[in-house]
Amino acid sequence: MKRYVARRLLLTVPTLFLVSVMVFALMRFMPGDVATRMVEGHAYAPTLQALRHDLGLDRPVHVQYLDWIGGIVLRGDFGSSYWTRQPILDEFSRRFPVTLELALLTILVSVVLGVVIGIVSAARQDSASDYLGRVLAILALSVPYFGLAVLVVVLPSIYFKWTPVWTYTAFTVDPVENLKIMLVPALVFGVTRAGPVMRIMRSALLDVLRQDYIRTAWSKGLAERPIILRHALKNAMIPVISLIGLQMPLYIGGSVIIESIFRLPGVGLFFFEALTRLDYPVVQSVNLIIAAMVVGLNLLIDLSYAFLDPRIRY
Amino acid sequence: MARRVLPSTCLLLAGVLLGSLVATGPALAQSGAQPKRGGVIRIAEREAPGLDPHLTISFLSHSYISLAYSQLVRFPNGPEQKSPTDFSILPDLAEKWAVSKDGKVYTFSLRKGVKFHNKPPVNGREVTADDVKYSLDRFMAKSGFRDRFEPVTGIEVVDRYTVKITLKEPYAPFLNHLASPSFCAILPREAEEKFKDFNNPDAVIGTGPFVLKSYEKGVRMVFERNPSYFMKGFPYLDGVTIDITPDAAARLAVLRAGKAELPHVWGWISPEEARSLKQTSPEMSITPYKVIGQGFIYLRTDQPPFNDVRVRRAVSLAIDRKSWNDALLFGEGCVDAGPVPCALADWKLDAAKIDPAKAKYLVGYDPAEARKLLAEAGYAKGFTMPIYHWPGYVVPWRNYYELAAEDLGKIGITVELKPEEYGKYISTTALGKYDKAAMGPSTPFTEVDDFLFGRFYPELPTNQSHVADGELTKMLVAQRREMDPKKRRQIVDDIQRYLADKAYYVYVPQWPQYVAHPPYVKGFRHHDGYGLGMRLLYTWLDK
Repeated sequence: MKRYVARRLLLTVPTLFLVSVMVFALMRFMPGDVATRMVEGHAYAPTLQALRHDLGLDRPVHVQYLDWIGGIVLRGDFGSSYWTRQPILDEFSRRFPVTLELALLTILVSVVLGVVIGIVSAARQDSASDYLGRVLAILALSVPYFGLAVLVVVLPSIYFKWTPVWTYTAFTVDPVENLKIMLVPALVFGVTRAGPVMRIMRSALLDVLRQDYIRTAWSKGLAERPIILRHALKNAMIPVISLIGLQMPLYIGGSVIIESIFRLPGVGLFFFEALTRLDYPVVQSVNLIIAAMVVGLNLLIDLSYAFLDPRIRY
Repeated sequence: MARRVLPSTCLLLAGVLLGSLVATGPALAQSGAQPKRGGVIRIAEREAPGLDPHLTISFLSHSYISLAYSQLVRFPNGPEQKSPTDFSILPDLAEKWAVSKDGKVYTFSLRKGVKFHNKPPVNGREVTADDVKYSLDRFMAKSGFRDRFEPVTGIEVVDRYTVKITLKEPYAPFLNHLASPSFCAILPREAEEKFKDFNNPDAVIGTGPFVLKSYEKGVRMVFERNPSYFMKGFPYLDGVTIDITPDAAARLAVLRAGKAELPHVWGWISPEEARSLKQTSPEMSITPYKVIGQGFIYLRTDQPPFNDVRVRRAVSLAIDRKSWNDALLFGEGCVDAGPVPCALADWKLDAAKIDPAKAKYLVGYDPAEARKLLAEAGYAKGFTMPIYHWPGYVVPWRNYYELAAEDLGKIGITVELKPEEYGKYISTTALGKYDKAAMGPSTPFTEVDDFLFGRFYPELPTNQSHVADGELTKMLVAQRREMDPKKRRQIVDDIQRYLADKAYYVYVPQWPQYVAHPPYVKGFRHHDGYGLGMRLLYTWLDK
C-alpha cells in the first residue's frame, strides 16, 4: 500500500510537468495576445511594446516558462494576474472555498437523489416506480443545467418579484446565510447531475443483485433491506464513486455558469474571465492547481476502492 | 518658477461661465422635486478587470473608479447637461484655464483646498500641481490611451496651484480627452509608492464624490459619500454599492425583484429587454436614449475587389437599413449612423443635408443599382467574400451578420460568415488584420476626432478599412488643428460630405439604449461620457 501510494505520488511529478508545459504552450498558441487584448483598439506599436516589456512578454518563451514554473517550485509563488496585478494564489484561495462548497453540495444532492432513486429503480425493476425513476433520470440528463438556472432566477422575479440571487456571504461569516445562498444553485446543479448517478447506480445494483453471493443471501432467508443496503450497495457503489471522481473537473467547469448566474465568487468564473482575457499566468497557475487536485483526488478514489471491496489490494 | 497666467482675454470664456454654472448646481438640481439626502444606490454589474485607470482600458474599471476620482476638467452631468452627448468642458479640479493664442499652451489654475480622501498613506492632504503632473506623466507612460496625448511635449508645474501643458501643435480634442474619466484621473503619488499601482482597493484614493470603503472581489464594491467633497452639498446619496452580477438575465432579475436600482453600470437595457420589463414591471422608469454607437462592415479598401469604389457602393446600396431597423429595432434605431454617429449631434451632418446623389451611398437601398455597379466593375456574376466577426456582441449583432449576408446575397455577393473567438477578433480583425471584409461595432468615443481621424487616417490600427486618401487626410489633420469650434465644425461637415459616396465603411443602423430604474431613483440622467461618479452626484432616492 505504502509503495503504491509512493509510486502514485512520484508519478504526479511528470504528470504535472506535462500539464504545465501543455497549458503554457496552448496559451501561447491561442490567437491574439494578451497585450493587444488589454489595449484593444489602442494597439499602437509604442503602447504595445511598452506593455509587452512591462509584462515580461518580450523575453524568450523558455525564460518566461522557467520564470513561472521556477517561482512555483522554488518559492511557492504562482505569479500575478496581468490584468489586476494581484497575486494569483491570494485570489484562488479566496475563491476556492466557494467552488468547493458548491461542488460538495452538488455532489451531496446528486448522490442522495441519484442513489436513492437508483436503488428503488433497481430493487423494483420494471415496476411503475422504476419507470418513473428512469423518466426522471432522463429528464435530469436532458435539461441543461444553465437553462434550468436561468429559469429559476428569471421566472420568480417576473411573477413574484423575488429572485434566489443574493449577495454572497462566506460560510465562516454567517453559515445560515451562506447555506441560504448556496442551496438553490446546489439544487439546480445537483438535480441535473443526479441523472447519470441514478443510471449508473441502477445498472450497477442490478448487476450485483444477480450475483451468486446475493442469491445465497436470499436463500439464507435474509430480508430485502439488509441484502440491498449491507451486501449489494457497497459493491455497486464502486462505479458511482468512479463517476463522481470523473465528474470533479466538470464541477469546476460547470460552476462557471452557475457562479455567473447566482453571483457566487468562485474559481470557475475567475478562470473563465482569465481565459477570455488571455491572462496567461492565471490560466496556467489555476490549471496547474486544479490538475494537481484532480490527480490527488483520483488517488484518493483509487484508495477508496479497497475500502469498498476488501478483495482489492495495492 | 512662478509663471504669469496668460492674459484674461485669452481665457477660455466657456470655462469661467460654466464654472459659475457648477456653483449653481444644487439650485438647478432642485428645479424638480426637492432632493432628499441619504440612501444607498445598488448597481448590479460585472466585475471590472482592474482598478488602475492607466493599466486597463475597460469601461467598467473607469466607470467604477470615476466615483472616487476627479480630473482637471470634466463633462456636464445631471442638470448641467443640455443632452446626453453634451461634451462641453466644465471645471473640475482646475477652476479655470487659459489657452495661448497659438493653441499650443494650456495653463490650468487649480482649486485651492481640495483634499484627497482621508485614507492612508495620503490622509486627506491637499491636491497640488505636483499631483497633476505626476498623474498625467504616468498616463503618458503607462496608459493604453496614451496616444491621446501624442501632441503633448511637456507638463510643467508653475507653482503650487498652476500647471502648464505644452503641445507641439494645436490639438482641438485635447480638453475633451482631459475631461475623460477614463484615463485622466488625478492620483496621489504616495499610493503608488505604497501599493505598487492603483489596482489595490486601498490605493483608490481620489478627490471624487465617493470614497471606496471596501471591495470584496467577485462580490461587491462599497463606496460611501466623501464628506469633504469640494462641491458643497453633493452628493445626495450616502453611498453606492456595486454588486458583482456577471449574468445579464440575473441583472434584470435583481432589478425586477427590488434587489438593485440599476441593472447595468449606466442603467442600460436593450430595446427588447425594455419591452419585456414594461410588461412585467410597469412601475419602472424606462427611458430611451440615443447613444453614441456605431456599427459597420469594414472592407480591405487597399485590395481587390474593395479598392474599387463601385464595389463598395454596391455593398452599401445592398443593405436594407430601414427593414433592419423596423424588424430588429422596432423602428427606434437610427439609419443614418455614420461616419459621425447619430447621437453626436454637435458634429453630425445629417444625410438629408448632403447632396442626395452622394448620400444614397451612405444610407440608400437600391439593389438594382448595386447589381449594375458590380457589373460595371467586372463582377456581373458576383463574387464570394468572408465577413469576419465576433458572434458574442449584444443583440442585435447576431442578426446583423446574418442580415448582411442575406442582403448581399441578393446582389450576387456570396457571404461566408466567419465567426471568431473574442481574443482573436479583438487583437487581429478589429485592428485591421483580416482578409477582405469584417463587421462589428465601434467603441463609443466622446470626441468626433476618433470617428474621423481615428477611423480614416492612414496606418492607424483603428483605420480598419485601410483607408489612404490624400485629400481626406489633409482635412482630417486640419480639423484636429483648428481651435475655433465653428471653423472646425465646417471642416468636419466637409469631411462628412466628402465621405458620403466613398463607402469606405458601410454603416448599419444604431439602436437606442433604455435606462431603467425604479421610480424612486431621481435625478439620474444618462450622459454618454464614461463616468459614473458625476451621474450619481445629482442622483437621489425618493423613499
